[in-house]
Amino acid sequence: MNWDQLLSITKQLGQGFEFTVGIFFFTILFSIPLGLLIARGRMAKNPVVSAIFSIYISIMRGTPLMLQLLLVYFGPYYIFGVSTGSIEIGPFNYRFVATVIGFSLNYAAYFAEIFRGGIQSMPNGQYEAAQVLGFSKMQTYFKIILPQVIKRVLPSVTNEVITLVKDTSLAQVLSVTEMFTVAKNLASAQVSVMPFIVAGVFYYVFNALVEFGMNRLEKSMSYYS
Amino acid sequence: MSVLEITDIHKSFGDLQVLNGITLHVDEGEVVAIIGPSGGGKSTLLRCATTLEQINSGSIRIGGIELDYKNKKSLAEIRNKFGLVFQNFNLFPHFSVRRNITEALISVHGKSKEEANAICDSLLDKMDLTAKGDAYPCNLSGGQQQRVSIARALATSPEILFFDEPTSALDPELTIGVLNVIKELAREKMTMVIVTHEMSFARDVADRIIFMNGGVIVEEGPAAELINNPKQERTRAFLSGYSD
Repeated sequence: MNWDQLLSITKQLGQGFEFTVGIFFFTILFSIPLGLLIARGRMAKNPVVSAIFSIYISIMRGTPLMLQLLLVYFGPYYIFGVSTGSIEIGPFNYRFVATVIGFSLNYAAYFAEIFRGGIQSMPNGQYEAAQVLGFSKMQTYFKIILPQVIKRVLPSVTNEVITLVKDTSLAQVLSVTEMFTVAKNLASAQVSVMPFIVAGVFYYVFNALVEFGMNRLEKSMSYYS
Repeated sequence: MSVLEITDIHKSFGDLQVLNGITLHVDEGEVVAIIGPSGGGKSTLLRCATTLEQINSGSIRIGGIELDYKNKKSLAEIRNKFGLVFQNFNLFPHFSVRRNITEALISVHGKSKEEANAICDSLLDKMDLTAKGDAYPCNLSGGQQQRVSIARALATSPEILFFDEPTSALDPELTIGVLNVIKELAREKMTMVIVTHEMSFARDVADRIIFMNGGVIVEEGPAAELINNPKQERTRAFLSGYSD
């Protein structure tokens, strides 16, 4: 093992890392708003609506993410006969798109339960004060409730986000050339564990940055208790 | 003219009848204190009057507007007519004192930031909180927080102000500042309905006292008279528990 080899491993993993970051970024982008919607559905007064969302959450949390990814990828073809090979959204092929869909659907379920806990922990007095002051339902939600809920759920959200960084490696089942897939291929080609160690460093540094960012965010909301 | 007209309202929670035909009219500039044992319906009456609970029958008018739960516009109008001060303040913890007071002015009443700030400054002055505009509720004492919540309720110039046991969550030495503020408002002829356990305060500040028990008004009369010479046996029994 020499420096050139290490540099070449790092470079190749770096290319896979772009996909890792992509999966991470898009999953966060879609799963958080989706999680908020699912949380609302789960808390719906209508028992049928609430039951539907609660079953959704139960299935998403109760089955392996890897299996869900395979279903999203192969499901359209095997169940509906829809060929997905030619689907492309911008620069992304269906492997990548399916990965993001699978991750988003799965993580939204976890986020939904975190948000539900946060929303239900809000004292009723906050709603009542907003109501008598004349705030609309939307204003109450976005100005009064949500900002406080975000502060309350942030530590749990950080947990999920850190798990997501590591979970991106599951995309290998759809042969997305994210970092872990690349590391595995390199390791078997070079008969060396070095690619795994470098990949580990990548994941760790990524998560250290995530942790730093989330801590900053938490601090920025610590002006009140 | 009556600012508040509550006529024969009934309210039950399931099988529990909490308000059993309450009629209460409050005139402009009048201060009415509501006293009585816990569970007697005082707070429920206040919550019904402030739209936080729906009545089963009867009618409520505030500032000439009839309460109609199905009519969203009239609900919004009626909420403009009153202010409510909660026992637990219910300030918005993530807003500064200033924003607690100005937010409704700006985003509900369409006032400009400058107008809202001017109103806020004069209210902070009045509440003896001049330097506290940029503080957050968690940095204030309970008494200060309650004065902020009074300022918040006053900001939109309501025609009537409701207080739900405004000093019950405060340490005794912190109640004085809050009670003084309410006395000052009474001197300015603010129309107020105050649910309270502070008998001497009720006697001093109120024009009229209502004694409630079992979901009905047992006795009402001029403040000093009701406290000093209660006519009903139940009122006497209740007041004898407060020997100040």
